[in-house]
Amino acid sequence: MKGAEALLEALRDRGVEVVFGYPGGAIMPLYDALLGSGIRHILVRHEQAAAFAADGYARVSGRPGVCIATSGPGATNLVTGIANAFLDSVPLVAITGQVATPLRGTDAFQEVDIFGITLPIVKHSYVVRHIEELPRIVHEAWDIAASGRPGPVLIDLPKNMAAGEAHGAARVLRPRLAPERADEADLARAAAMIAAAERPVLYAGGGIGIGRAIHAFRNFVAETGIPVVSTLKGLGAVPTDEPLFLGMLGMHGTRAANNAVQQSDLLIAVGARFDDRATGKLEGFAPDARVIHLDVDRAEIDKLRRADVALAGDLSQSLAAIGQGLRIAAWRRHCLRMKAQHAWRYDAPGDGIYAPELLRRLTTACDGEATIACDVGQHQMWVAQHCLIRRPERHLSSGGLGAMGYGLPAAIGAHFADPQRTSIAVSGDGSIMINIQELATLKRYGLPVKILLLDNQSLGMVRQWQELFFERRFSEVDLSDNPDFASVARSFGIDAMTVDRASQMDETVDALLNHAGPLFVHCRIDPAANVWPLVPPGHTNATMLEGSLQ
Amino acid sequence: MNRTIEVSLTRAEGAIVRILGLIERRGFIVESIATRSDPHADSLVMHVDVASRGRPYDVLVRQIVRLLDVRHALLVEPQAAGQRLVC
Repeated sequence: MKGAEALLEALRDRGVEVVFGYPGGAIMPLYDALLGSGIRHILVRHEQAAAFAADGYARVSGRPGVCIATSGPGATNLVTGIANAFLDSVPLVAITGQVATPLRGTDAFQEVDIFGITLPIVKHSYVVRHIEELPRIVHEAWDIAASGRPGPVLIDLPKNMAAGEAHGAARVLRPRLAPERADEADLARAAAMIAAAERPVLYAGGGIGIGRAIHAFRNFVAETGIPVVSTLKGLGAVPTDEPLFLGMLGMHGTRAANNAVQQSDLLIAVGARFDDRATGKLEGFAPDARVIHLDVDRAEIDKLRRADVALAGDLSQSLAAIGQGLRIAAWRRHCLRMKAQHAWRYDAPGDGIYAPELLRRLTTACDGEATIACDVGQHQMWVAQHCLIRRPERHLSSGGLGAMGYGLPAAIGAHFADPQRTSIAVSGDGSIMINIQELATLKRYGLPVKILLLDNQSLGMVRQWQELFFERRFSEVDLSDNPDFASVARSFGIDAMTVDRASQMDETVDALLNHAGPLFVHCRIDPAANVWPLVPPGHTNATMLEGSLQ
Repeated sequence: MNRTIEVSLTRAEGAIVRILGLIERRGFIVESIATRSDPHADSLVMHVDVASRGRPYDVLVRQIVRLLDVRHALLVEPQAAGQRLVC
């Protein structure tokens, strides 16, 4: 058996059915072995899209996504996607071709040290030195990617390792990856702290979905009745229409969420990492609160905010151990009153399309059942604020890295993970151009992925910041020379429509949810629209700028 | 005050670079390194003198520990630091 065949056999052993990639010289032996391997390969049109698609696949399926690229530029094109998976704790196995072992270190054609380049952005990585090691490496990589706090693992595969014959195989050892359990004494201290709290708030992070702790978290909310705020990646930990959900916290969070945190006397952080976008000025974050921090990754504890009690380990086990009935009715009423006072308004003047209203209508029309894959910018925040999100895996967003270009390939990956579910990429006119070539992937495979492009003819979020914080000195944000996006989509063979009036919202929603096959909706919106509220940089979350509809 | 971190690690490609890179990326300064091999355990033991710009050393140690090549890492008590090799 050749090394490439051994690698694919190990992937099959782990249940891999689909991989995303792009071939090239050094990875050719693996592509040769893919023929007839039983593993479906999805040819993307840029390696970055392979990594993002594998990321989307992983977030929806809960299993590692696999992406493949050749050496040199193929490998470096994966880097953004690997970094994205690292920062958002997504299980990914990235396989890169490499020049043959005798050529390594000679600056050979398409040789780069991808192992070295990616060291800071992988959970672990391997260079294959012996063909016989391949099965062990693949199995280890899989387990490492998926276990504990998930993340990307790189396997750099020299051409001669893939093409050579394996003589026997190294024993496959499962690494030491059992989840930790929180200390019993700490659990007791946390339970006592919760019992004594008068103004507790649950701060839900992406770890709840990643750790498959949604059921335990919702049980905890139901048992304690504690109001919930969420990070971008924590959205869906409870349905966003759950009465106790106050909204996203942080820079573009709701006033109710931010005020509740600022007023709280106990903050229970669950799978969250006190990211600067969530906390604002850290010194002033939840100033009166003691902190209980639950996280599977012990290295997150005390990193930015000292925890009064740290519960490092499996979230479900910890939550089950500290739940209890509480007498916090007055605090709950106060939080719900704030939520009602600062509820979103959708009565935008004019006859144009108000993007938040369109997003709200779209996701309520499907009762939050579609997968929404975002790009990055203003529309990303509008999705987070206004979409009905029932589960974290139905909201794919590049949270940590903030990578424009993520949305379309992630929506493709989401489709392969759950083909029966509608997959919609929500993008902006800046972001869509980063990976617009993936329209060809939609066409090639006839994928019924939908694209909602919110076009404000600018890099809207940058423009907003220049307007607010750089004295309206607009620098390189004008995109009014965009192509005719509907024509571009049609040139790829994708059905397309352009809308710009509020009266077209119903037909737009209907098309996005019911059109057969792929569809590109080009939606022109107000170029001056901003995302509100906004915590200005350097301020605490108590300082929120608000716009006309707030 | 500088602190010394003792790290026991598997002899694996990139293991040393991974650890030193992590220390610097997390905002600490590597002042000196001493490394010796343990042929019986197929491992290396590193002592890294580290300076902080105010970030907690215990968090850094936990970040090192989660690297897959690391067998253990610990902060050396200050009174024991005089025994270490520095190069």
